[in-house]
Amino acid sequence: MTVRASLFLRVTLAGAIAAAAFVLPGVFATAQQIDMNVVDQPGYVPSPDEEQLSGAYEKQEVFFRTSEAPGTIIIDTSQRFLYLVQPNNRALRYGIGVGRQGFQWSGLQKISRKQDWPDWRPPPEMIERQPYLPRFMAGGPGNPMGARALYLGQTIYRIHGTNQPQTIGHAVSSGCFRLVNEDVADLYDHVPVGTKVIIKQAVAL
Amino acid sequence: MGIAQRRGALALAGLVVVLMAGCATETPAPVVTAPAISPDALVGKWGLAAYHKDADRPRTIKEALAQCNKPYVIKPGPNGGLMMYLADNAQIQELVLKPGANGVTYLGPPGNAGTTDDRQVLNVDPSSFTTIWVDPDNAARYGTMVYERCGKRA
Repeated sequence: MTVRASLFLRVTLAGAIAAAAFVLPGVFATAQQIDMNVVDQPGYVPSPDEEQLSGAYEKQEVFFRTSEAPGTIIIDTSQRFLYLVQPNNRALRYGIGVGRQGFQWSGLQKISRKQDWPDWRPPPEMIERQPYLPRFMAGGPGNPMGARALYLGQTIYRIHGTNQPQTIGHAVSSGCFRLVNEDVADLYDHVPVGTKVIIKQAVAL
Repeated sequence: MGIAQRRGALALAGLVVVLMAGCATETPAPVVTAPAISPDALVGKWGLAAYHKDADRPRTIKEALAQCNKPYVIKPGPNGGLMMYLADNAQIQELVLKPGANGVTYLGPPGNAGTTDDRQVLNVDPSSFTTIWVDPDNAARYGTMVYERCGKRA
């Protein structure tokens, strides 16, 4: 089976899970916990329709009670949401993709750097699995890093865009947090370097 | 008819047959040209990087060189080809250089030149070569791929 065929099957499976979650709300929590085993698609440019999120993962202003100051970013890994705290118990909420099992983490960081159309360097284990990949891909549409990147302190992790909008709401990454390109560009415009970022991870039972 | 006359008639008939056969074969014989690139020129360890916008080519070349710690290794194949990968396929296989129309050289599985599994070789020099996939989907996804030689040529 080629990687693309495998990817198709996995995405189809994820789509089926999402559809089941829509029809049967009771299974939603379970579906969310399933890792989406999807490979990167370097160079793939999603259509505008694909990039249009709907439902809970669409960017929206929500009621959000916190003691954190407006402008703070709070990432809820288990719920797959990123909140940008606003005044008066409000927040902008974005749907995100998070690290797959074993690649999730929590902590307190600051935005240390911002980059539009970041370059992409597949990690060594990915090169081992997919030795045909370029070891570097210049930033641009179709780049797996998407339209913007916000670097988290001195870690290897980032908040970035994606060329795989179907992965939003899933545990897919190696520890980075991904948003659809429109959302990450919006977030990028809202937050300066130095912004406080709190990454929360609920303990799985 | 004497023997000499009979031989003359046979020779004439033979010539007519040859000429008729020549008329029937209107397609010119294929011109077999060797690829302008020797497979040896591509053997080695390469830093591999890709770009989509021409403006990114200079820095992509630098980045390719910086990726020599994760080289793309091309070894000679058992049949004179090159052991390499196709797009999205982690199975290494023997590819060959194939001359195409207008002096274009393709790199792909043995067979016709310019098929969707092929790469077009855009340029080669001793320290680098550049390719782009023939398949439009692969070309759009991977862009132009730059191979920069790691170290000196063996």
